[in-house]
Amino acid sequence: MADAQLEDPRFIEKLRQGDRAAFGQLVRGHHNMLLATARTLLNPADAEEAVQDAWIAAHRSIAKFEGRSLLRTWLTRIVINQAKMMLRKRGREIQFDPTNDPDALAHRFHDDGHWQHPPQHWELSGPDNLLTREELRRCMEKHLHFMPDTQRLVLELRDLQGLPAEDVCNMLEISASNVRVLLHRARARLFEMVDHFQETGEC
Amino acid sequence: MLKCKHVTEKADALVDGSTLSWRERLALRLHLLMCGHCRRYVRQMGALLGFLPRQETPLEDAHTEVILKKLDSLQDS
Repeated sequence: MADAQLEDPRFIEKLRQGDRAAFGQLVRGHHNMLLATARTLLNPADAEEAVQDAWIAAHRSIAKFEGRSLLRTWLTRIVINQAKMMLRKRGREIQFDPTNDPDALAHRFHDDGHWQHPPQHWELSGPDNLLTREELRRCMEKHLHFMPDTQRLVLELRDLQGLPAEDVCNMLEISASNVRVLLHRARARLFEMVDHFQETGEC
Repeated sequence: MLKCKHVTEKADALVDGSTLSWRERLALRLHLLMCGHCRRYVRQMGALLGFLPRQETPLEDAHTEVILKKLDSLQDS
């Protein structure tokens, strides 16, 4: 999660007054996070360009930032707008329809809604902690990479960056229930992947 | 009575602290009290989200300076 200092009102005031060193701190602290967001929608080269352009846009309008949202929400929104613009140039658009991808956990339940294949036990502490195993980490990266863009984006914003759900709805211009469904689908995929790994030792 | 399938959907809000009505929260808690499978699901999902690979490394100073220089040049022109 980002440094609390970068949301401090005094720091933001310096930015608004055009303090170069403060802007440098902002770039240093947030660039890689913003790049991770852009990469959920764009290839690495386009993502880098989108974030560079976002810094230009942010630098130009920081004096008008009123602090009605977190500063990193404001920055993320700029990056997403740049990414959308770039997609449009390439003749693409993001589709936030969550219904075209099934729930990865659906097959685990009986028709009556009870568990048919309940989750395996995962060892979560000590040196045998399943989640710290190197093969599992690699497998997770792979699944994150192949996840539908919109699920990956919502997961990135909510679970990796911890942005408020309301901010995510606003910046993506989708309903709260669509954000909930996309997030659930993304999490269900990962849960299913880890549980499969626990059961079979395979990715 | 809540079904396990619905618990896994509602549990998202428990895991990330989103708002639930007291009625939903109560139904969820009651179900979890009685259902070990769902308890395991919620616990393991919470742990999983805590382990997602986050991008938190700051940008190197040299790269930061490149971006600042670009902003300077745009401002001067």
